[in-house]
Amino acid sequence: MFKLNLKIALRNLWKNGGITSINVGGLAIALAAFILVMMYVTYETTFDKGNPNYDNIYIVGRTMPEFKTNYTPPPLGKAIKQNFPEVMAVGTLKKGGFEFAISSDANTAFASNYLMVDYEAAKMLQLLPNEELAKPANEEGILFFLAKESMMTLFPKKKDDKPELVTLGSKAAGQTAEVKGTISVNKHSNVTFDALSVRKELGKNENYGYNNYNTYIQVKSGTDIAALEQKINTLYKNELIKDGQDVSTDRYKQTTIFLDPLKNQHLKPMAGNNAAYKVLIALSVLAMLILLIACINFTNLSIAQATKRAKEVGVKKVLGVYRYQLTFQFLTEILMQCVVATILGLLIAELLMPKFNALFNVSLSIWSANNALLYQLPLILLAITFIAGIYPAMVLSGFKPSLVLKGNFQTSRNTYWLRNSLLIVQFSVAVIFITSLLIISTQLKYMRTQDVGFNANQVVYIKNIMMFSDPRVFEPVRQKIMRIPGIKSVTVATGIPDGSENGSNGYTVNGVEASIDFLDVDFDYFETLDIKLADGRFFNKAFKTDTANSAIINESAAAKYGLTDPIGKTIRGCSMDYKIVGVVKDFKAQGFETPVQPTLYSIKNPCGNAKTQLMLKIDQDQMSEAIATLKAQWPDINKMDGDNFRYYFLNDLYGKLFQKQEQLQSVFFAAALLTIFIATLGLFAFAKYMTNNRMKEIAVRKVLGASDVQILKLLNSSFFAMVIIANCISWPLAYVLTKKWLETFAYRIDIPVLPFLISAAVTILLTVLTVSIQAAKAVKANPVNALKYE
Amino acid sequence: MIKIENLEKVYKTEEIETTALNGINLHVKEGEFVSIMGPSGCGKSTLLNVMGLLDKPESGSYKFLETELLKLNDRERSNFRKRNMGFVFQNFNLIDELTVFENIELPLIYNKIPSAERKKLVNEIIERMNIVNRSGHFPQQLSGGQQQRVAVARALVTKPKLVLADEPTGNLDSAHGNEVMELLCELNETGTTIVMVTHSSHDASFSNRIINLKDGHVISEKINKGKTEELI
Ligand SMILES: Nc1ncnc2c1ncn2[C@@H]1O[C@H](COP(=O)(O)OP(=O)(O)O)[C@@H](O)[C@H]1O
Ligand SMILES: [Mg+2]
Repeated sequence: MFKLNLKIALRNLWKNGGITSINVGGLAIALAAFILVMMYVTYETTFDKGNPNYDNIYIVGRTMPEFKTNYTPPPLGKAIKQNFPEVMAVGTLKKGGFEFAISSDANTAFASNYLMVDYEAAKMLQLLPNEELAKPANEEGILFFLAKESMMTLFPKKKDDKPELVTLGSKAAGQTAEVKGTISVNKHSNVTFDALSVRKELGKNENYGYNNYNTYIQVKSGTDIAALEQKINTLYKNELIKDGQDVSTDRYKQTTIFLDPLKNQHLKPMAGNNAAYKVLIALSVLAMLILLIACINFTNLSIAQATKRAKEVGVKKVLGVYRYQLTFQFLTEILMQCVVATILGLLIAELLMPKFNALFNVSLSIWSANNALLYQLPLILLAITFIAGIYPAMVLSGFKPSLVLKGNFQTSRNTYWLRNSLLIVQFSVAVIFITSLLIISTQLKYMRTQDVGFNANQVVYIKNIMMFSDPRVFEPVRQKIMRIPGIKSVTVATGIPDGSENGSNGYTVNGVEASIDFLDVDFDYFETLDIKLADGRFFNKAFKTDTANSAIINESAAAKYGLTDPIGKTIRGCSMDYKIVGVVKDFKAQGFETPVQPTLYSIKNPCGNAKTQLMLKIDQDQMSEAIATLKAQWPDINKMDGDNFRYYFLNDLYGKLFQKQEQLQSVFFAAALLTIFIATLGLFAFAKYMTNNRMKEIAVRKVLGASDVQILKLLNSSFFAMVIIANCISWPLAYVLTKKWLETFAYRIDIPVLPFLISAAVTILLTVLTVSIQAAKAVKANPVNALKYE
Repeated sequence: MIKIENLEKVYKTEEIETTALNGINLHVKEGEFVSIMGPSGCGKSTLLNVMGLLDKPESGSYKFLETELLKLNDRERSNFRKRNMGFVFQNFNLIDELTVFENIELPLIYNKIPSAERKKLVNEIIERMNIVNRSGHFPQQLSGGQQQRVAVARALVTKPKLVLADEPTGNLDSAHGNEVMELLCELNETGTTIVMVTHSSHDASFSNRIINLKDGHVISEKINKGKTEELI
């Protein structure tokens, strides 16, 4: 029996080879997309999952009046350990903060992500070096480890595990240190680093004012986290008083402690945003939609093919086969096709993997050993077989033999509505993606072409750890740099316009107090970036006061204070009385998502950070020579960095602000392409089936005198109507979705009409083309053949 | 009205060549009712299809009122057909998705008759065919005889000069078959030329002339006396 069924199935699939391959191919492509997304979702949701105490590790954070933070003072962890027996371990971590060079005789590597941990944190978070981690012997003992890649750079010939001596910082000015060994960095973890130091104790001499450490705790399983959180909060408040902190301010009163599980750290940390989580959900929905569309196709075509099997069902039923046996038979057939589709899907996914990895900046691989796909795939296979197969199997097995065997039997009327609505759904989804893609692209184009208020071209940013807060310290450096041909201007500031945030502080003008951003600059800052002056003047060495108390504000700041004539006014803040000497036009240093912040620019600022960010405007024609000269002279110009001359082009850095949108654009491009492709595949097969079904009708019409064009119109009309309906459904949806997305930008386009028209045109054109290709065959055929008696 | 000379039609498939028509000569006068008989596969349908311009012969001549039809291109053939000919098939070939009324209306639409006039013409013929109360029905809801009457109505509604009928009673019982034959006779009496393929000598007896085909040849021709006298 089974053998016979298999034979019938295979012969059927073979006979309808075209439709079968469309069916299986479409499903395979959708599955490939689904597999990729699923692997990505699995990857993103399992950060640190390898840790045996995954479910019991929490980070201790603080809720402040305006925000939440994971930064805590080091004594808090020790107090927690002493007071609460349910806390089994407490680990303290601190980030290095800035990049530094590590040199051996052979080479130089850079540690941009230096991490300091105490022994317990290393144990808890499994930051384990290749050999057994020994507890540092004494209080001062530091075990310094390097990531494998850095170690390979520094000591290419190293084979053993012995410690090595390295120089930290520039070779001239640096200090030596001992590297204990290599440590493999788990990229699939929340705690990453390229250099790690392990101490017995971290932040030993620091009090409750030093909120720049991370505290992780590991609790006994079954601990009541809410209660523990309360207890730690009370402890924290008491400790603050004991420590002699000023707890009278609102700021301290409103600060509370929270515990955030390790498993939420990557995607939805309390201190931070859950954008990554939302993206992940959106991606999953997208992948499911695409798979659903492919399943719909499958269902659709299987039903469309059903009439061909009607006689088989009728005869079998007459011979006494039960309905459930037939259902099972058809489900098995569909399962076979799904298995083939899955294998194909895996192959396609493998082919697309490199592109996908590049887009999402991950390194996934299908063939890795402990792959969740191993159990996910069979489940998906069963699910799609069920979704795609159950309805056709029911329809097929439900044929009534009396009707079927009389001949004149058609499924089309029973399933007409279902099939049409399924097609409409497919096209609706496709239209949403096309429209959204076009709108995303329009916004991106707007962002690329819009005047941002400054010019990042030919501006070179040089990495530097030397502090140039005092203009007098910087002046000789500037002069040495300016001597190089091609350099037009040089400046230093606390930040560069690459989207990074500035500090903010309260400033008062005319009795109006407001919190505005501040940025510390040096001479030629505005000139280097080609920022436009609105009123007054830029900083100028001719004015002695500029290094003392001159300030320049932007137009937003002037507006915030309601100043119509700001020049000469006094702005007070950070125990300084600044005199406003100029107003600059707003420039989008933070990109397009946040509006330009009201900002004060000054050379002197007691509240500011160190000025370390060097920017040079270089003549385009002499760019490469100038950079070569800079590199050669750098040890002389800037001893601290010395031989470690590293530079970036500012427009590259600013361009990174668009990365998120570019990624989104790529995703939507792929999705639009996929949905269109799969929907068209479905349409193609469906149109083929429809035309075959209507051969007789077409022949009759031709005999009665219908012209070719009239027949083409006839065959297209119903599909045309469906596409129009799909567009009508999708337009408002696409409008709402893209409007929501555009609202995340402070600077955005108005929703254009064109994308809607284009997606309508594209879908209509594709439909007419697809259907006409099929219909043309029917039109060309000799009607006599179709009218022959059976 | 029709002069067919030396008509030859060969079907080529991968394995074999079939000569379906092998030098057919046939003249049909205006107002004549001709039956074509012969064993299965002798080329009756092929001849009818060639006469109806649905198929092209390899060689020969086909003159219709002095026009050489075999020289026409596809478009001209199609136009000639829809203006001058009507078809009745053994299996009716009604369009299942259209009602009786719409089926009959179809050739008028393709002949670009304005809507008001179409209505009038269709209603007239529906009345004549005695299927008034069926005009809103779909073909599947009718008996075979009724379906064939609709098919005849559809063939007649354009008032064609020539009606070609391929075994019109083949799928019907004798009572329904007779109804259809009477219809065709009535039609013939009003001056329409009819060429009908049939297996039934009873049906053939309604016609003026019976032509016997075998292997693509005309082997005999018999004039049906009673009928022909009327014609002369
Ligand atoms: N489309 C075709 N291709 C090949 N051979 C055909 C085709 N149509 C008809 N024939 C052959 O031509 C001959 C005449 O067919 P037909 O005119 O249909 O016979 P009948 O007299 O039964 O109506 C038959 O032998 C048939 O097999
Ligand atoms: Mg025949």
